[in-house]
Amino acid sequence: MEAEKTGNNTGLFWKLFTAPLGKNNPITVLVLGICSALAVTVQLESALVMGLAVTIVTGFSSLIVSSLRATISPRIRIIVQLVVVATLVIIVDQVLRAYAYNASKQLSIFVGLIITNCIIMGRIEAFALANKPWLSLIDGIGNGLGYGIILVIVAFFRELFGSGTLMGYQIIPESWYIVNGGFYENNGLMILPPAALIVVGLIIWVQRSFYKV
Amino acid sequence: MNKNSNTYTFLYATALVVVVATALSLTATGLKSRQQKNIEVEKKQNILLSVNKAGALDSVPDRNAYIEELYRRYIVEEYLVDADGHRKEGDAFAMNMKTQYDIIREINAAGVTDEEKLALRGKLSLPVFVCRNDDSTLKYIVPVYGLGLWGAIWGYVSLDDDFNTVYGAIFDHKGETPGLGAEIAFPKFFKQFEGKQLFKEGQFTSIRIVKGGAPAGDRHGVNAISGGTITSRGVEEMLKNCLTEYKPFFGQQERFKESKN
Amino acid sequence: MENIISIFVKSIFVDNMIFAFFLGMCSYIAVSKNVKTAMGLGMAVIFVQLVTLPINYLLNTYLLTPGSLAWVSPELAGMDLSFLSFIIFIAVIASIVQILEMVIEKVAPALYNQLGIFLPLIAVNCAIMGGSLFMQEREYANLGEATAFALGSGIGWCLAIAGIAAIREKLSYSNVPTPLRGVGITFILTGLMGIAFMSFMGIKL
Repeated sequence: MEAEKTGNNTGLFWKLFTAPLGKNNPITVLVLGICSALAVTVQLESALVMGLAVTIVTGFSSLIVSSLRATISPRIRIIVQLVVVATLVIIVDQVLRAYAYNASKQLSIFVGLIITNCIIMGRIEAFALANKPWLSLIDGIGNGLGYGIILVIVAFFRELFGSGTLMGYQIIPESWYIVNGGFYENNGLMILPPAALIVVGLIIWVQRSFYKV
Repeated sequence: MNKNSNTYTFLYATALVVVVATALSLTATGLKSRQQKNIEVEKKQNILLSVNKAGALDSVPDRNAYIEELYRRYIVEEYLVDADGHRKEGDAFAMNMKTQYDIIREINAAGVTDEEKLALRGKLSLPVFVCRNDDSTLKYIVPVYGLGLWGAIWGYVSLDDDFNTVYGAIFDHKGETPGLGAEIAFPKFFKQFEGKQLFKEGQFTSIRIVKGGAPAGDRHGVNAISGGTITSRGVEEMLKNCLTEYKPFFGQQERFKESKN
Repeated sequence: MENIISIFVKSIFVDNMIFAFFLGMCSYIAVSKNVKTAMGLGMAVIFVQLVTLPINYLLNTYLLTPGSLAWVSPELAGMDLSFLSFIIFIAVIASIVQILEMVIEKVAPALYNQLGIFLPLIAVNCAIMGGSLFMQEREYANLGEATAFALGSGIGWCLAIAGIAAIREKLSYSNVPTPLRGVGITFILTGLMGIAFMSFMGIKL
């Protein structure tokens, strides 16, 4: 691919890294990896952990598959990729259970679902199989972060308007609430699953008007 | 070697499996003790929360040490009781309430004869945890377990030594709907249970969860969660079913008898 | 029996894979432009779900849960292989999909023409993997319950994609703001459909 021809230079690294954050965002533009993305966006904290976990898995699976790409027999290509991804996901899951128990409880099955996250297989197939390991690592991390950013934006709005908190800390002053004689009430709809879809739809609207895609 | 040959594919797959298996079992065994510690500390934390301890959880640097320390200080005894309320051999802390719930569910299933119920009750080993407060009053903590809308719900209920008045309660769940059923895990719901009574004129009534709100001053009912009807009903059932099995144990306690006279 | 029917109905309407958990969204968005192909993919999902989930259930009960190896020999009762579940589930799903593809191609070419192109897509469909993981987390009591859940969640997914495809067909005649066309409006519509499906939540069977 073109990345091979231009070789290694900082500009290329930078481009690979930043494109997925905005213009080529995996969620809003390429529409990949939405499956596990939305269910974990009720709270900002779990969205951050999920974004980080996915970034680690996309980065390293791209790195590993790209290093192995000359040796993989085409007949077992998909299985090898799945095994690499699944192994990384299990390691991430085990580490979360040991060092971030609460977050792993909240994410429950969605950690396991990182395996079937289309972003990971998508980047491996489209990029890592044809490019050098370091480039693939950067590409993987960039895409993971692009995914994480959308998660965090969605979670920001859902937690702020749904529970009045951010990262668990109260943001909306207690005295505003109707129960305390104020005028404000949390929007219960934001906590429910469908709100995530509507928020993502609106983000896509904003982003596409901005980039004129 | 030819990448498309069967031997190559086979060897490649074998090598991959060996590498992956080693990496995974090393990670799993290496992290196992820490993971189990987390589960243990979480249980201790829930037990402490049901007697309104462990309040400063967010401000301590080392949660695990903090919980362990409080648990040592306040929980003075833990034991198992059988369906007649007598003490029984066994490790109360390690007892998984789900196994007890499975028996309780069979007892309450339709079409079970009295003899079968008796036999099933013989299998029960119910955990009790005793907490001594700073003013040296004793509180008794019993675990409860049941089903919500999506899956398991559980909790701990602590009682004053008259075995009638609820001192505190805490609930948790596996995956109730956030914002609706999941509200049972928040203080706004479980704080309501403080001071409620399990017995009305000597009759076991458990605690009702009233849709639309319990009348003010109701000592046997709390408000249900709006939009979380099935979870609320699950909590009510859970309390009734589990606490019923503890009734013989309550009945044997001195203070319980006194308070009835 | 009541339990099985309750799980079946609940997994179609209440814990719908798309509306409650957003699983399988990638193919849901990509393949919902017309009803015919959407139904094809939906059928393939039901089919694969129905085959893989019971297999994973058996593997989970007799191999992966802590203490489940006791049937091999009592010494193995202390083994805990649960950390392998992700890799085993995905391996089963990938290989079943591969085998199904070959079998269908040989046995029923007509069916292959309908489902064939979708089968490889399904190996990485979150709804299938998610089904197996939910099965593990919810600890279904027996194979019957697990199968009822498999069928129900598959049908629920199929219903969702058929529904959105029908709406999108009609939508192509509407004047949606340009940046919102396609994916954006599909998300918002799915959200609205999800809110409608939430009214099934109070139903207890």
